Amino acid sequence: MTLNHDDWGKVARMMSKRSLWMVHFCTGCGAMEMPPVMTSRYDMERFGMHAMATPRQADVFLVTGYLAVKTLKRVVQVYEQMRDPKYVIGFGSCTINGGMYWDSYNTIKDLSKYIPVDVYIAGCMPRPEAIIDSFLKLMDMIDKGEAIGWKKYHKYYDQYKKNQRMAYAYRLDEVEDIKEDDAK
Amino acid sequence: MMAKELFPEAQELRKGRIRIETIKDKVTEIIKKLKENGYGHFVMLSCVDWIKEGKFELVYQMWSYEYREHVMISIKIAREGDSMVTLRDLFPQIETYEREIHEMFGVNFVGNPRLGEFILEGWPHMPPMRKDFDTEKFVKELYYKIPEVKEE
Repeated sequence: MTLNHDDWGKVARMMSKRSLWMVHFCTGCGAMEMPPVMTSRYDMERFGMHAMATPRQADVFLVTGYLAVKTLKRVVQVYEQMRDPKYVIGFGSCTINGGMYWDSYNTIKDLSKYIPVDVYIAGCMPRPEAIIDSFLKLMDMIDKGEAIGWKKYHKYYDQYKKNQRMAYAYRLDEVEDIKEDDAK
Repeated sequence: MMAKELFPEAQELRKGRIRIETIKDKVTEIIKKLKENGYGHFVMLSCVDWIKEGKFELVYQMWSYEYREHVMISIKIAREGDSMVTLRDLFPQIETYEREIHEMFGVNFVGNPRLGEFILEGWPHMPPMRKDFDTEKFVKELYYKIPEVKEE
């Protein structure tokens, strides 16, 4: 029996879905829900997931809550440091539509305008069961080859970058004069 | 000496809570006097926008561990074209409050060299905590207008 390229992709996806490492980057209130998920009560290590300190060794990025524009710069930088394939989980209603910060002048409202999001978890805050459920959903999507956010980021890079610059500048126009290295 | 003895014009709102309303030229002197008389803890400096009067109210809050008494020194300055002197030489922590108020309300503190970008990065609009800054309109015209990424 010989395996062609597609079959090897299937094998790779099957392997990688059981060893997802998560960037340990917490923003907003969602960070409070992570300790029970990570520790013995809900124990996400059952699924082969654990927290990793550096983005370059991680596969999953949990954006745990609201993002100020200043934080968005750091999130984008962390996301771009991660190696492909990489997956983003938007956590709580703040990443979906702003949540309770819907009219705040300094928080972004929809995360998927700035970086591609594979799975959203609704709720304010989502319970650990919901988080575990989203992990299983993500694993399922990886297995089927549906979690392609990172491919979208390559393909529509210009659109994502343009949106990011608009937010950084707090303006819809004249976005060309914003320096790339603002977040450093 | 307690604040009531030092400044007979001070109002006692309730036990342990004193309010002194004054003008901006006297603030330095009052805070210095309180500092020398047992009010050693500068709690915070806050700002209120009284838009109908056209004034900003600056409230300096002090606390004495000795008398267990809280003193508020309140002044009003004009919203436009007015300024306040910095008090960073009396208590170094005032500098940080002044930076924040400068960024959020646009109050100028003369003599503070670090008034610049503090929490916001690259903010091009009016200071956001002013009452005439329409937050909802701003959000609707910026964040909700940023387009979704179109997929072909």
